[in-house]
Amino acid sequence: MIKLRRLERRYPLGKEKFFYVLRDINLDIEEGEFVSVMGPSGAGKSTLLHILGMHDSGWAGEYFLAETAVHHLKPKERATLRNEQIGFVFQQYHLLDDLTVYENLDIPLSYRRYSKGERAALVADMLDRFQIVGKKDLYPSQLSGGQQQLVGVARAIIAEPKLLLADEPTGNLHSSQGEEIMELFRKLNDEGMTIVQVTHSEKNASYGKRIIQLRDGWLVRENR
Amino acid sequence: MLKDIRFASRQLVKQPAFTSIAVVTIALAIGATTAVLSLVNGLMVRPLSYREPQQLVLLLQHFKSQNLERIPVSPPEFKDYEARAHSFEKLGAFRYTNFNLAGEDRPERISGATVTADVLPLLGVSPIRGRFFQPEECSLGRDDVVIISARLWQRRFNSDPQIIGTKLLLNGKNFTVVGVMPASFDFPLQLFNLGNGGQFGGRADIWKPLAFTEEEMKKRGSRSYAMIGRLAPGTSLAQAQTEIESINAQMRREHPDNYMQDNSFGGDVLSLQDLAVSGMRPALLILLGAVFLVLLIACANLTTMLLARAAAREREIAIRVALGAGRLRLLKQVFTESVLLSLIGGVAGVLLALWGVESLKAVGAQTVPRLREVNIDLVVLGVTLAICVGTGIIFGLVPGLASSRPELTEALKEGGRSSTVGTRRNRLRNGLVIAEVALALVLLSGAGLLIKSFARLQNVNPGFNPRNALTFEVSLPKIQYPDDASVVRFNNEAQRRVAALPGVQAAGFSTILPLAGTNSDWSFAIEGRPSDNNSPSPDEEKRQVSPDYFRAIETPLIKGRFFSDADSADAPLVISVNQTFAKKFWPKGDALGKRITFDDPKKNPKWITIVGIVGDIRHFGLDIDPKPEMYVPFSQSAYSTTICVVRSNQDARTLLAAIRREIQAIDSAVPLANVRSFETVIAESVAPRRLSVVLLGVFAGVAVLLASVGIYGVMSFLVVQRTHEIGVRMALGAQRSDVLKLVLFRSLKLISVGTIIGLIVALMSTHTLRALLYSVSAFDAMTFVLVTILLGAVALAASYLPAIRATKADPMVVLGHNT
Repeated sequence: MIKLRRLERRYPLGKEKFFYVLRDINLDIEEGEFVSVMGPSGAGKSTLLHILGMHDSGWAGEYFLAETAVHHLKPKERATLRNEQIGFVFQQYHLLDDLTVYENLDIPLSYRRYSKGERAALVADMLDRFQIVGKKDLYPSQLSGGQQQLVGVARAIIAEPKLLLADEPTGNLHSSQGEEIMELFRKLNDEGMTIVQVTHSEKNASYGKRIIQLRDGWLVRENR
Repeated sequence: MLKDIRFASRQLVKQPAFTSIAVVTIALAIGATTAVLSLVNGLMVRPLSYREPQQLVLLLQHFKSQNLERIPVSPPEFKDYEARAHSFEKLGAFRYTNFNLAGEDRPERISGATVTADVLPLLGVSPIRGRFFQPEECSLGRDDVVIISARLWQRRFNSDPQIIGTKLLLNGKNFTVVGVMPASFDFPLQLFNLGNGGQFGGRADIWKPLAFTEEEMKKRGSRSYAMIGRLAPGTSLAQAQTEIESINAQMRREHPDNYMQDNSFGGDVLSLQDLAVSGMRPALLILLGAVFLVLLIACANLTTMLLARAAAREREIAIRVALGAGRLRLLKQVFTESVLLSLIGGVAGVLLALWGVESLKAVGAQTVPRLREVNIDLVVLGVTLAICVGTGIIFGLVPGLASSRPELTEALKEGGRSSTVGTRRNRLRNGLVIAEVALALVLLSGAGLLIKSFARLQNVNPGFNPRNALTFEVSLPKIQYPDDASVVRFNNEAQRRVAALPGVQAAGFSTILPLAGTNSDWSFAIEGRPSDNNSPSPDEEKRQVSPDYFRAIETPLIKGRFFSDADSADAPLVISVNQTFAKKFWPKGDALGKRITFDDPKKNPKWITIVGIVGDIRHFGLDIDPKPEMYVPFSQSAYSTTICVVRSNQDARTLLAAIRREIQAIDSAVPLANVRSFETVIAESVAPRRLSVVLLGVFAGVAVLLASVGIYGVMSFLVVQRTHEIGVRMALGAQRSDVLKLVLFRSLKLISVGTIIGLIVALMSTHTLRALLYSVSAFDAMTFVLVTILLGAVALAASYLPAIRATKADPMVVLGHNT
């Protein structure tokens, strides 16, 4: 599903001086895997996730996603590929305050080629699946943190991505809500979705099948 | 207070971009306001610079059955009024007169007036040297004295202290200078809207006593003098009017041959001040409205800018409140800043207005009455200061109130957002943008209509070809040219010489030039159509022209023939009329060959045969339909002042030196005066209208600029405010085009609402422009469509930059990830 070769991300510090966030990352993630990326703050975990999510394009090296050489793609092609393949879950949920739950779920679909009818059906499905039908007209501020993240996950997968990227998805939740989300991830993974999550929590990492450790931008260890 | 001012100054210095944009916005609005205020003050409010000018009146007559309004009086009538009227402290008669002042190298034509002895004293301005005229100097043979202006005294005589008693050679005759009037003294005024027979030209520099000739005193019907009076203390305009009406009734009784015995003849006592401002009043009021709109737009702009700044300073304000600052204290701080900003902008605005007013004067002082008196005086400065402070408080009010009620918990939380306050302010910001677009559209619609109207006016066929034609006046002194024959000889010779110059296609002359502001009408009788007291003699415009005049101005011959050299003084009397004249009096089209007379038809008159019908000419204004006109050959009815038109195949102004040489070869003491291209004559005839168009156009431009700055500011703020949302949307799959659409759609929504409101308001208000419109409806659909498209395009363009910036949002940065 994902193949990274000699991936590097750096920021200029001065004349010919650079600060390396990621260095020489070589990584393969198979379809259906549930990978947790761990490491101390500043290790490059989120950067790696945003590169995988194609939010960041200032990297060097090779990145293959579903056999497609992302490094050769133009920005627009990358955006298309991302929309086809990837869903993203944020630590701060990033639901849009002025939109209802229903409308938040509809956003990703509005950016993809779905008809109005299809969109309505998919949103209804998702509300049903996540058991949040009763909350469809509420605004994010009227939901608890756990409920917000539930909507965040629903929104991430509504366009049926093959890869779900999650940046500390339980970071802002208390433990029981966190567990609920992680169980949801496990279920999604069991249904065949590839998941890559960034986490500080060993417990959350244990939901995955593989753990990748990053330190100072280097991939230092892999545990299966 | 000082501390507040210091802090406010520091804040403004700290944000140079914000401060500069705000100052420029205020400067444009205050500049426009101050300039228009100074126009209103100078042209409408400020009294005429005479003593107690509200007591000064003009007395004009009307003959309603002949459609003659506001016409001058004849010398016998003046004498009757002077002897019988008691409502006036003083009464005087005057007439605009030109003088040829002989000089060391070449003669100069000086504008001036002949006035009865009481005219200058009744105005209440004393000479700075010498004296007024004595009554006995207003009699023939003793009228060889003049009073000159300080302007002429300084320019021509280098302010010679011995000027009193100096002899001036005017029109070939010596006159003794007995007085010098102050440089600011202006009389007669250029009074517009006086209608038939009463317009005055340039600024007078020489005044001569008016001595009526015996011949003049016999002609009760020959009206060429305006009358001015000072109301006696305690007498109202209405009382004076009543008295004049009773004198008119007496005159009707005493001179039944001269007046219709119906209510046709009458006199009008008109306030000089009202007359002086009435022409410009509608335009000035519209301009005042326009700058008010500009000011409102600027206020809306500044409110949005300050709101954005208030949002950025929410934490600072919250901390102040947390530390104990009261609401009033916070408001005071905000108002100090906004008023300070407004005052800085105001100073820049006044400088801008100073420049603007000087530019306007440079362009229009010759053609717009009293414009040269316009300046930014203490009254205007006082009003401007009040407006600045008021504006500062208005645009500081909403941000002030918003800042004084911060949501402490949210504002003090790191990264906290106050969504309710945000929504409320966004609604306000949106409302302000909508208002700006609406106001700008109102202004733009008005300007659009005026511009279209002006363009239509420029395209009106005046009935002659103004291109490549030069005009100049020649005035022959009575001493050297005492009779018609000598005047005709000079003019014929002048025309022959000028026409022979290389490059000249045709040259002709007339006693009156179209659109130049002068006119002359004469009563006449038509053969076979006797007039009586019930059907008065017709009275129409009359000019004396040379045979080549129509060829020179390129007015077509419709029927019959042009005059020729054969139409001399001894030849049978002939006349040409224009189409309107022919249609009015011979609707069946058989005017040619008919005869009219300017004499009393009952007393062996000289009949004049119509030999030609020429095309119509718009004489009184491009916007006024042609009136009936008669043209008689100059040789058969000579006059001492003529206006020559020289048609050339190139820019006729290049011929001026050669023309001057030829004229002075005939008589070196005769100057060319009022040398203008015919196009300039037309341009000057529409100058007041052009002034309104230019000013309203500039204000509309400023309004659109300010509105687009406002839209840009609000959309930029919106983009910054929505950066997080945009980042999320991009992370969720939004393409750049989606983001672009998102921002532009939001902007389009505001612009559309503003446009709809603006169109409704514009449609409701443009009827006020009717007085200034020519051949364009106040609801002209095309104009409304075009200005809407223009404003929409500018407004969208203003939103485009923030929208582009929004598409560059980096989701990684926006979503604030940790490495």
